[in-house]
Amino acid sequence: MVRRAGRIGGFTSRALHYHVRMSPTTSRPGALAELGSLALHWLAGWWRIVRLGGLIVALALSTNHYGRAGRSALFRHIYLSTAPNLLWFAVLSALLSLVVIRIVLVTALSYGLSQYALEMVVRVLVIELIPLTTALFVALRCTIPYGAEIAAMRSRGDFDSLKIQGLDPLRHEVLPRTLAGMFATLMLASMSCVLTLVLAYLSVYGFTRWGFEGYTHTVGQIFEPEVAVIFALKIVLMSLAVSLIPVASVLYDAGHARPRSGVEMRGLVRTFLAILVIEAASLIGNYY
Amino acid sequence: MQDPSARESPVAHLEFKVAALLLLMLLLVCGSVAYVMYARGVFEPTQQLVLLADDSEGVTVGMDLKFSGFPIGRVRRIELDADGSARIVVDVPRDQAHWLRQSSVFTLERGLLGNTSIRAYSGVMGDPPLEGGAVRKVLAGDAAAEIPRLVSAARDLIQNLTALSAAGSPLSASLANLQATTDKLKGQHGAMGMLLGNDQDAAKLVAALDRTNALLARVDAIAAHADAQVFGADGAVSQGRAAIAQLDAALADARQTLEKLDAVLQEAQGVASNVRVATTDLGALRAEVEVSLRKVEYLVDEVNRKWPFARDTELKLP
Repeated sequence: MVRRAGRIGGFTSRALHYHVRMSPTTSRPGALAELGSLALHWLAGWWRIVRLGGLIVALALSTNHYGRAGRSALFRHIYLSTAPNLLWFAVLSALLSLVVIRIVLVTALSYGLSQYALEMVVRVLVIELIPLTTALFVALRCTIPYGAEIAAMRSRGDFDSLKIQGLDPLRHEVLPRTLAGMFATLMLASMSCVLTLVLAYLSVYGFTRWGFEGYTHTVGQIFEPEVAVIFALKIVLMSLAVSLIPVASVLYDAGHARPRSGVEMRGLVRTFLAILVIEAASLIGNYY
Repeated sequence: MQDPSARESPVAHLEFKVAALLLLMLLLVCGSVAYVMYARGVFEPTQQLVLLADDSEGVTVGMDLKFSGFPIGRVRRIELDADGSARIVVDVPRDQAHWLRQSSVFTLERGLLGNTSIRAYSGVMGDPPLEGGAVRKVLAGDAAAEIPRLVSAARDLIQNLTALSAAGSPLSASLANLQATTDKLKGQHGAMGMLLGNDQDAAKLVAALDRTNALLARVDAIAAHADAQVFGADGAVSQGRAAIAQLDAALADARQTLEKLDAVLQEAQGVASNVRVATTDLGALRAEVEVSLRKVEYLVDEVNRKWPFARDTELKLP
């Protein structure tokens, strides 16, 4: 902390500096420079995340990794990130879906628009809400704790011990967790979407098979090729975002952490921002 | 140095469980993809139908072609024809194509809120089925296009109504007269004063009514007297009834007399018939007597010739 006393406009003032960048700027060029520096820093953070994503994808597609030890670690993280959450996330998403379906059906019926209720349910729930909630769930439940694990491992010196053993920490610890996060997102999203489609059919038509043709026709009308591609891309990108960003924030931002915000919080904010951007892009692609 | 992963507790049958998870996800993803492809009609053989329209506004790719409310086809492509009309290419599944016939009519209907629908109507199901690749003109109906005409008609109607209800218009004059009429209705003589127009005539009518009432009272009294004369105890009706009873008795006597006379006539008829028969027999008898007399006369002449006896030859007939 640097203390400086200065005279400004006849009054004595003290400026307390907690950080070099927190110094008060009395000139416009200084403010612009600081703003530019912040922007560059922000972009650099995102570039590191993209770079890490490229590395992870390259490693994932590389067959060298899938030796016995690598497979074991990968399988373990896949199982631990998916299996314990499968059942109760299914129940949770089923309950949420039933509530939303019921609200939409009753509201549409009251306005005499029941013929649009099913389409609205599928579009709102299956295409938009389910992937978003799944990504947020996996982020909060799996990948952000993974980021914390990696931070803890690094602070304990586990990464250094791995390097001494000749193992790449990125390949050995980061890659399995990232792939597990992606798998968990894809798995939970697929299961929830299928469950929601089934619940929507049962809510609208009941336990009868005679509504299947009409229901299938409606689903076919909704899932046009463009919509289907955007839907698949959205789930994949969201899974990438929730898996990579918390880990990348821990790996690359630890040295630049601000006192006001922890690394995990910044990772969380970045994850939410990425999910928001992906969601907005999918909405523009579908409806604009 | 210990491997960080070694600190974690092992999971039993890990590979089997992960394989199950992978298989489950594969099933979910592939099943979803297959279902969407089935829903889009990828596995259905289809035939093409081309609809020509002057304006394809409101028609979108993926829109249904409906028959009796059921979707039997889907718009695959919309493009411009060489002459500037819109070509709407519709894919119709072959198992639904039998609903379309050569005589089928296709309509493009635009609702008031902009919802557009394409419908097919097949009146004669016995006609040959519509072949694949057929080109048909679609009949367009637009509810929104009627709005300008409706607005114009409404404007004319409002103008006419304004003219009718203007200050010096016949309608306002009629309403003023109607008000005067209702004021007269509320007057002393009510509807009668309104009909006659002034109170003097109304008073005359009232006097006439009074006199008529008096006349009716007198006629009523006369009727009462006449009633007593006709229907009273000694009235014409009772006397007539007595006369009818007497006449009835006389008629009964006359009937009996006639019955006797009828018997007498029957006897006379018998006598007459006997006389007729006797008269007929008498003629034959006379002829026979005459013949016998001639024979006797001949014999007498013969006898007189043979025996000149002088006798009186005069015969006296009965």
